[in-house]
Amino acid sequence: MNNFALGKYMPLDSIIHRMDPRAKIGAMLLLMVAIFIPAGYIGYAVIAVLIITAVFLSKLRLNFIWRSVKPMMFMLLFLWIINVLVLRTGYVMFTVFGFKVYSDAIFQTLFIIIRLLLMIIVTTILTATTKPLELTLGIEDLLTPFKVIHVPAHEIAMMISIALRFIPTLIEETNRIIKAQTSRGVDLDEGTLKEKLMAILALIVPLFVSAFQRAEELANAMEARGYIPNRPRTRYKQLEMTFKDYVLLLLSTLILILNICIWKGFI
Amino acid sequence: MPITFKELSHEYNLGTPFAYLALDHVSLAIPEGKVTAIIGETGSGKTTLVQHLNALLLPTGGELEVAGRTISSNEKPKHLKALRKDVGLVFQFPEYQLFEETIIKDVCFGPKNFGVDEETAVQLAEKYLRIVGIDESDFHKSPFDLSGGQKRRVAIAGILAMDPQVLVLDEPTAGLDPQGAKEMMQLFSRLNKEYGKTVLIVTHDMEHVLHYCDEVIVVADGHIREQCEVHEFFRSVELLKELKINPPAVIRLREELREKGFQIPDDMIDVEQLIDAVASEVKGHE
Repeated sequence: MNNFALGKYMPLDSIIHRMDPRAKIGAMLLLMVAIFIPAGYIGYAVIAVLIITAVFLSKLRLNFIWRSVKPMMFMLLFLWIINVLVLRTGYVMFTVFGFKVYSDAIFQTLFIIIRLLLMIIVTTILTATTKPLELTLGIEDLLTPFKVIHVPAHEIAMMISIALRFIPTLIEETNRIIKAQTSRGVDLDEGTLKEKLMAILALIVPLFVSAFQRAEELANAMEARGYIPNRPRTRYKQLEMTFKDYVLLLLSTLILILNICIWKGFI
Repeated sequence: MPITFKELSHEYNLGTPFAYLALDHVSLAIPEGKVTAIIGETGSGKTTLVQHLNALLLPTGGELEVAGRTISSNEKPKHLKALRKDVGLVFQFPEYQLFEETIIKDVCFGPKNFGVDEETAVQLAEKYLRIVGIDESDFHKSPFDLSGGQKRRVAIAGILAMDPQVLVLDEPTAGLDPQGAKEMMQLFSRLNKEYGKTVLIVTHDMEHVLHYCDEVIVVADGHIREQCEVHEFFRSVELLKELKINPPAVIRLREELREKGFQIPDDMIDVEQLIDAVASEVKGHE
């Protein structure tokens, strides 16, 4: 559990860390859309260049990026196997034990995998370089224009920030309960299926009990301090867009436009 | 055989920016068949220390000998499950580990994990539920219907039912009312005296240390700052002051009397003895 890197903030000091969260979220959204546009290898290469540059500028270790990608590896492999079995179009690339493997199965899956990897890395950079609190401030600001159509921007931001705030707490809690139940002879790695199910039950029930308890305590504590949703609130931290933020947004927009052009055949 | 730590170190988040050395080359021998208190400020490494005892945490340096097994940093340990049966660890706020439908089932969970058959497990559970003071009529209730203090008793019974030789308790009385805390400490003392169990208690309460423990280990900044017998520990107020420990009421009284000029030996830790000493001295003057 301690090796879980996805969504974890890394307290480093880099140009990416100092950027405005709104610019980072905006760039992430633009790149996400760009990733989903089928612009071929050139399109992905351009995105990859920007992402790799961002990784280097962010001073994040490659090991950290690898650890956030690793949990997905099993799924990606699984996806590949399923596609090889199911997709039967294109030309036959090679034959394994009399089973014909088609080109589409290989290449289309490769596209999906590249997409997923790029998406994970983009989100990892965002969450690893932006404090959860800044992230929610950014989301709140970005949602504010939608207040006209009754989108509760502040409440959504509050919910997200509470959820983010409690991820480490719940992970800690899970670790604690794992340890407590391990002390009572629970073995999460070995045993029959029935024993394993029992072991999981012994973790989930206490975790839920404590999560509900925490939720109630937090709600009471907030109300006791006069928290009322949808009332105007002041902010301690003011966000400010600087030159580098505009550069990031501009680059992301350019990549998106480029990919659309490739897709539509303008280039 | 005593529990021995040899140059044991533990570093959290090894190899990340969050790396933190919680225990720094700790060497220590904890005597068998005694009640030992582990004290120290929050964050001093007490919990890290006790979690090595049943191999929940493995040392990142040095080694540890417990219940006839050696756990060292340079080899992957085997038979951890057997060790966990011999060393029962009760966590802080253990009531959070309850999950079964009924109290008796929850207490049976531990022994059954260690291969005890259903019938014996129920017998063990009933025995220890009685020892911790749970009413028989409650055995088939849901553990979530109990009060905080009762839940904790059930959780402790859950560890006791595994019949461990060494019982380790991490702040077992935190958040309990004084009466409940006292009963709890008496229970541990009884488990030590009647059932011959080695008991280790992490605590902040000096009154408990004075009245129920035999030995004291002081942990500070990942080091062992002091280890001695309890009456030895409360002999010198200078040491207590240095460790920023507020001495128990009896010791404070003893020191005030000594300051007033009474001839009281500094190893006296009992109120009755203190009264006798004062009385005989007053009589001697008359």
